Amino acid sequence: MIYDPSRALQLLSLSCGVANAAFRKGQQEAIQHIVEGHTRLLVVQKTGWGKSLVYFIATRLLREAGHGPALLISPLLALMRNQIAAAERMGVHAVTINSDNQEDWTNLETRIGLNEVDIILISPERLANERFRSKVLAGIASRISLLVIDEAHCISDWGHDFRPHYRLLERIARTLPGNLRLLATTATANNRVMDDLRLVLGPGLEASRGDLNRPSLTLQTIRLPDQAERLAWLAEKVPVLAGNGIIYTLTVRDANQVANWLKSCGINVESYTGETGYRRPELEQALLNNRVKALVATTALGMGFDKPDLAFVIHYQSPGSVVAYYQQVGRAGRALDSAYGILLSGEEDTEITDYFIESAFPTREDVKVVLEAIERVSAGLSVQELMARVNLSRGRIQTTIDLVSLESPAPIAKLGTKWQLTAAKLSEDFWQRAERLTELRRVEQRQMQEYVSLKSGHMDFLIRALDGNPSDTHTGELPLLSTATDAALVHKAVDFLRRTSLPFEPRKQWPTGGMPLYGLRGRIPAERQAQTGRVLSVWGDAGWGRLVREGKYRDFRFSDDLVRACESLVRKWNPQPRLTWITCVPSLRHPDLVPDFAERLATLLGLPFRPVLRKTDDRPEQKSMANSTQQARNIDGSLTIDQRPLPSGSVLLIDDMVDSRWTMTVAAWLLRKHGSGDVFPLALALTGQM
Amino acid sequence: MTISLSPDTQALLLLTAPLIAGRTDTSSELLTAGEYQRLARFLIQIDRQPGDLLSPGREFSNDLKTIIDADRFARLVNRGFQLAQAVERWQARAIWLAGQTDEEYPKRLKQRLKESSPPIIYGCGDRAIIETGGLAVVGSRDVDSWLVDYTVAIGRETARAKRTLVSGGARGIDQAAMRGALEAGGNATGVLADSLERAALNREHRNLLMESKLALISPYDPSAGFNIGHAMQRNKLIYALADAALVVNSDYEKGGTWAGAVEQLDKLHFVPVYVRTEGETGQGLEALRRKGALPWPNPATPEAFVEALTVRTNGSGESSRSQQLSLLET
Repeated sequence: MIYDPSRALQLLSLSCGVANAAFRKGQQEAIQHIVEGHTRLLVVQKTGWGKSLVYFIATRLLREAGHGPALLISPLLALMRNQIAAAERMGVHAVTINSDNQEDWTNLETRIGLNEVDIILISPERLANERFRSKVLAGIASRISLLVIDEAHCISDWGHDFRPHYRLLERIARTLPGNLRLLATTATANNRVMDDLRLVLGPGLEASRGDLNRPSLTLQTIRLPDQAERLAWLAEKVPVLAGNGIIYTLTVRDANQVANWLKSCGINVESYTGETGYRRPELEQALLNNRVKALVATTALGMGFDKPDLAFVIHYQSPGSVVAYYQQVGRAGRALDSAYGILLSGEEDTEITDYFIESAFPTREDVKVVLEAIERVSAGLSVQELMARVNLSRGRIQTTIDLVSLESPAPIAKLGTKWQLTAAKLSEDFWQRAERLTELRRVEQRQMQEYVSLKSGHMDFLIRALDGNPSDTHTGELPLLSTATDAALVHKAVDFLRRTSLPFEPRKQWPTGGMPLYGLRGRIPAERQAQTGRVLSVWGDAGWGRLVREGKYRDFRFSDDLVRACESLVRKWNPQPRLTWITCVPSLRHPDLVPDFAERLATLLGLPFRPVLRKTDDRPEQKSMANSTQQARNIDGSLTIDQRPLPSGSVLLIDDMVDSRWTMTVAAWLLRKHGSGDVFPLALALTGQM
Repeated sequence: MTISLSPDTQALLLLTAPLIAGRTDTSSELLTAGEYQRLARFLIQIDRQPGDLLSPGREFSNDLKTIIDADRFARLVNRGFQLAQAVERWQARAIWLAGQTDEEYPKRLKQRLKESSPPIIYGCGDRAIIETGGLAVVGSRDVDSWLVDYTVAIGRETARAKRTLVSGGARGIDQAAMRGALEAGGNATGVLADSLERAALNREHRNLLMESKLALISPYDPSAGFNIGHAMQRNKLIYALADAALVVNSDYEKGGTWAGAVEQLDKLHFVPVYVRTEGETGQGLEALRRKGALPWPNPATPEAFVEALTVRTNGSGESSRSQQLSLLET
């Protein structure tokens, strides 16, 4: 096809809303390259360069010449709202198809069928989804004129951002015939990743690569081991920084906690995580319009979010790799003369990144038990059915299934809703790759620790790590921020960390397959359910969690501080109808630990303590049961009520740990069945993974 | 392991394969067998390979318009993404494929079917089994238990003689023969007319496929369902892959078994065709004998069995077959 430069320029003006817009260096060449379609193209340019402009204009030109729609595959669809609006301005009709808009699929399908859609945006996970493939994709797969692979570094095993579903995309890319136009884009690709991409996308791959320097950024690293110190630092510095920014945390829990803390200090922030759901666009907009000082976010607020005047990016914890850090910090100061990129690092960073590294792949044992379970049932098994058969958490089962089924050939494939064995074994390559990737993650983690320790030369270090050219690095000229923290604020932060109490909802349904020993199944009647409970801390957290751990495993007695903390929690909570007595969950392994605690709490609250529940059968600890179905079975038939009649008033039911909630559920059911009033559960710590 | 497709095979798939990934509506546009043969001849004439049709930027040659309309051609070859998606799906399910120009394409098919060999063969299991020839066993779907027992025994004898059993994988005679061979520890090739993907995921087949005892192949898309025309077309592949064929039973002047056997005896002459001689043989088998089919010698030993498979000339129908064979030597 012949490229029309004046039409391309017109489209650029339309999209920016400026009469005499000009292309950035490299943009026009990239568009021409795609449209002419001689060879495949890889564009490596930092975020904000305008990669989306390239593929939207190319799409429009192809469509004007009568070609089929483009398909864009990106892990970051939720964040492309800005770009989609820009596309609409130049008449490119873009639609996203994802699991959140299934109710629109029929409508979108019709529009696609009528040839009204110019570009379809999907995630790599969609591509693996059977229903999506057959319902939506089948209708357009035969007409796609341009395939855009966004964040193409994910294709490479050596990319910092391993996404299992890119394995599938890699194989699709390898099989594409030469006559299909293909554009791959990424912000970061070191030499190793570039080599991998050449291997997958073809030796004729042309690469257009921009420079990595971010001259407006002032980078700084500050080590503050304790969470309370970091909270205090944030509370002091965020309000006085110029402009608006992002504060990154490693986990959803930390994002919520930091946001709540800063709000309690009167700072206008919101948390933004994968669990924020429908409020995400609204919060993005709030940051874009400077209506919040900052969003406290996980990587859910990621690549593709474009705010040219973002003035600071602060990390509350250190990410696992330099590339990930570069991408996140690179969101600041795109159109500003100066911006801050501050990395705080704490004592829990390594533990969290270790967890991410260690849980990325299933173990040989995980794979063995899952495959053996499927092998025993000739009709295959669903994930739900697997949970009842193997002692692995739902997450581990899902990871195992996902990774193994994305191999080629895969030892399992989905037929309908069930996983079935194929005529292939899991290749040894799988384990070699898992080992190699795990080792790579360790190297990246160490490199990040080096960055944390830097006194100067931060930008140089980042560019070198990305195989860029650091010779002409310019750095920002803002004054470095003080690393000191205010003692009063630290004290306040400690109090804050200890004040959090989390509600937990009662279970309303017995597990799949019921509780055979109690003869229970189906719904739990409302008058046999527990009320909403409370838990004092999260296992091992910076507030009370550490004291709970010491009480359970070091001192074999929960401290008086914990009793007082629970007393104040209960007084503030003040469940209705008013509590009239206290009981606790029994244990044969630690017969006194919880009753001793419950009795002291009862004294402080001025209520009678009556240990009416008895453990009849010594079972393995609940924490050794890896998923909820297994935990339910483990508790089945093991508790009974000893003394009758029970007091008829509301009761506080105490246990030390809560995870799947089955123990509390069964205890509450027994108490209600034998005549007690409402049951309000209280636990010291919530276990289970972040 | 990822099998990389040659550009030639990509072109063959785009032009002739439905590439079923979910539903599909392009099948009606695919090149028919006749159109494909004309295209192949044309490419030979201009000294090109199928893959050249996909060279990026190359405009479609005017001459091709006599074979296929330019818009239809464009619609077919623009199915590149669909192609990649379908191939990925097959590979993940341990299904391989070979295009006519590929080294791995079953040699017997190429030699015997020549330009009418299917452009693409899909398969699962060890390809080496397909190259080993053996005894083809054909017959009906609906058969009585005596015939099933007889056929299982034939399968067993095939295994004992260390020969491969080739059959169509359908209910009745096909499955009985394969069962006999596999249960006796022998090898079998199933030439399926439909649903290769389903068969490949079948638990009974799984260990056999993994232990290189069974190979399943089909010239049709692994997701394609039953189609009577496909079932008839597939018959000649069964004969082509074997050293000799045994017709266990057949209707007279109707049905796929009859048509396939008559085609061999009258026209194709790929391999010697035997008919069953034990028990009630019926009108169909008698008629095939009159057309030149040989009486199955009921070999008593593995050595005698092997000899029956290596028979060269025997009786009236044989002269034309010899001619055919000599033509194929070239």
